[in-house]
Amino acid sequence: MDFKESTGLYLIASGVIIFVLAQSIFFLVKALKQGKALGIDKSKLRNAITSSALFTVPSALSILATVIALAPSLGLVIPWVRLSVIGNLMYETTAAENAMEGLGHVGGTAVEVTDPAVFAGIAWVMTLGICFSLVILPFVAKPLHKKMLSLGKKDEAKEETGEKKEKKSDGGIAGFIDLLTPAVFIGLIGAFIARAIAGAGKPEIFGDGAGVLSVITLVVAVVVSLIFEVVAKKCKLTWLEPFVMPIGMIVAMVVAVIMYNVLPPELAIMEWRG
Amino acid sequence: MSKKTTEKSYFDRVHTWGRISSITALCALLMFPVGICLYLNVWPSLSGVMSGLLKLIPLYWSLAVVEVLFYTPMLGAGGTYLSFVTGNITNLKLPCAISAMEGAKVKANSEEGEVISTIAIATSSIVTTLVMAIGVLVFRPFLDDFTNNELLKPAFAQVLPALFGALGAGYFIKHWKISIVPILVMVIILFFAPTMGASTLLFPGIIASVVGAFAMWKLKIVK
Repeated sequence: MDFKESTGLYLIASGVIIFVLAQSIFFLVKALKQGKALGIDKSKLRNAITSSALFTVPSALSILATVIALAPSLGLVIPWVRLSVIGNLMYETTAAENAMEGLGHVGGTAVEVTDPAVFAGIAWVMTLGICFSLVILPFVAKPLHKKMLSLGKKDEAKEETGEKKEKKSDGGIAGFIDLLTPAVFIGLIGAFIARAIAGAGKPEIFGDGAGVLSVITLVVAVVVSLIFEVVAKKCKLTWLEPFVMPIGMIVAMVVAVIMYNVLPPELAIMEWRG
Repeated sequence: MSKKTTEKSYFDRVHTWGRISSITALCALLMFPVGICLYLNVWPSLSGVMSGLLKLIPLYWSLAVVEVLFYTPMLGAGGTYLSFVTGNITNLKLPCAISAMEGAKVKANSEEGEVISTIAIATSSIVTTLVMAIGVLVFRPFLDDFTNNELLKPAFAQVLPALFGALGAGYFIKHWKISIVPILVMVIILFFAPTMGASTLLFPGIIASVVGAFAMWKLKIVK
C-alpha cells in the first residue's frame, strides 16, 4: 500500500479534524446561548444557521475538488488537513510547490511524491508556513475588537441623536489599501500563470513546463470561469457563483485530456522551454 | 445595566476561549507533521525544510499580520478565532458572515452582529469540515485507480494552470488593469531565467503587482 494512504496517517489527520470540529461546535453552542440571552429572535438564529450551511456547501465542494486534484501528487491526507485547518486554496498549493522545490522534489505537483522523507518535509513546510496568524491572534484580537465595539457604540449614539455620519475622505493612502490585497493575490496567482506560459521544466518530465497543453488548459480555465461568472452575475444566479472556480478548473482539466488524445502526439507533449 | 454586564463578560469569555483555542489549535496543527514523522519513522533534512520555509515565511507571515489586522474587525470575536483556525477566510468565512449579518439585519460591530457572525462562521466551519471528511473518505478507495489511470494523467499534469487560471479569472475581470504589469514582468523574467520556480517567481511578481497598482492609483488609472 502507498505510504501516503496508510490508515495511521488517516488516524493522525482525523485527530486534527475532530479537534477543529469540536472547537466549531463549542463556539456555535456558546453563540446560540448568548443570542438567546440577548433576546435575538429564534427564527433569526435558525436562519443564520440554515443560510450559512447552504452558503457553504458549494464552496466546500470546490475546496474538496482541490484536495482531490492535489491527491495524485501528495495523497489525500496532507491536502485534506491543510485545507481543513487555516489553509486556503491559493496558499496551500503555493506552499506545496515551494516545499517541493526546497526539498528537491523535481516536477512539482505534476509528479507523485514517493519519498516519505520528502512527504514529511512538505507537511512541515506547509504547516510552519501558514501557522503565524495563530501565534499573533491571541495578542491582537481583543484590543482590536474593543476598539471596534466602542466605535460601534459611538455610531449608535450618533444615530440616536440624529447626528449625521461624516463621510471619510478618500484622498489619502487609504484608497490604495483597498487595492493592496488584490494586487498581492494577483502577483501570487500570476506566478503560476506566467510559469504556464513561459516556464521551463525538466526535459524528461511531462507537464512541468510551459507548452501547448499548459496554455490550452490555462486559457480554457480563465475563459470558462469568466463565462460562468458573467452568466451568474447577469442572470442573478447567486447559487452558481461558488461553483464558478471548480467548474473552470474541472472543464480545463477535461479539455487537457481531450487535447492530449486528439492533437498529434508531438504537438500534445510539446513544451517550448524544455 | 445587567445587559451591559452580560455583554462584557461574554466578550471577555469569548476572548479567553479564543486564546485557548488558538494556542491548542496551533499545538494540534504542529502535531500533524510530528505525527507523520513518528509514524513513517522518517525525518526530513533540516536544510530542505529551511530552504522551503525561507521563501515562504517572508510572504506568508507578512500576509498573516495583514489578514489578522484586516479581517478581525469584520468577523467578530468568536468568528475571528474560529476563522483563523479553520481558514478559507476570503473565499468562504468572510462572505458567509457578511451574508448572515445582512440577512439578520445586524451590524458587524454590535453585540447581535458578534453573535450572528460567530454562528455563521461556526456553521460554515462544521459544514466544510464534514463535506471534506465525507468526500475524502468516499474518494479514498478510488484514489489508486484515479492516480494510475493513464487517461487522466494529462489532466493531473496540468492541475496548476487549471487551478490558478480558474482562481485568477475572478481577480482578472475585477482588476484587469493592475493584472497586466505583473504577468508581463514575470513572463519577461522567465525568458531570462526559464527554470525559475513559481515559489521564487512570486516575489518579483508581487512587488511588480503592488508597485504597478500603486503607480496606476497615483496616476488615477485605477480607483
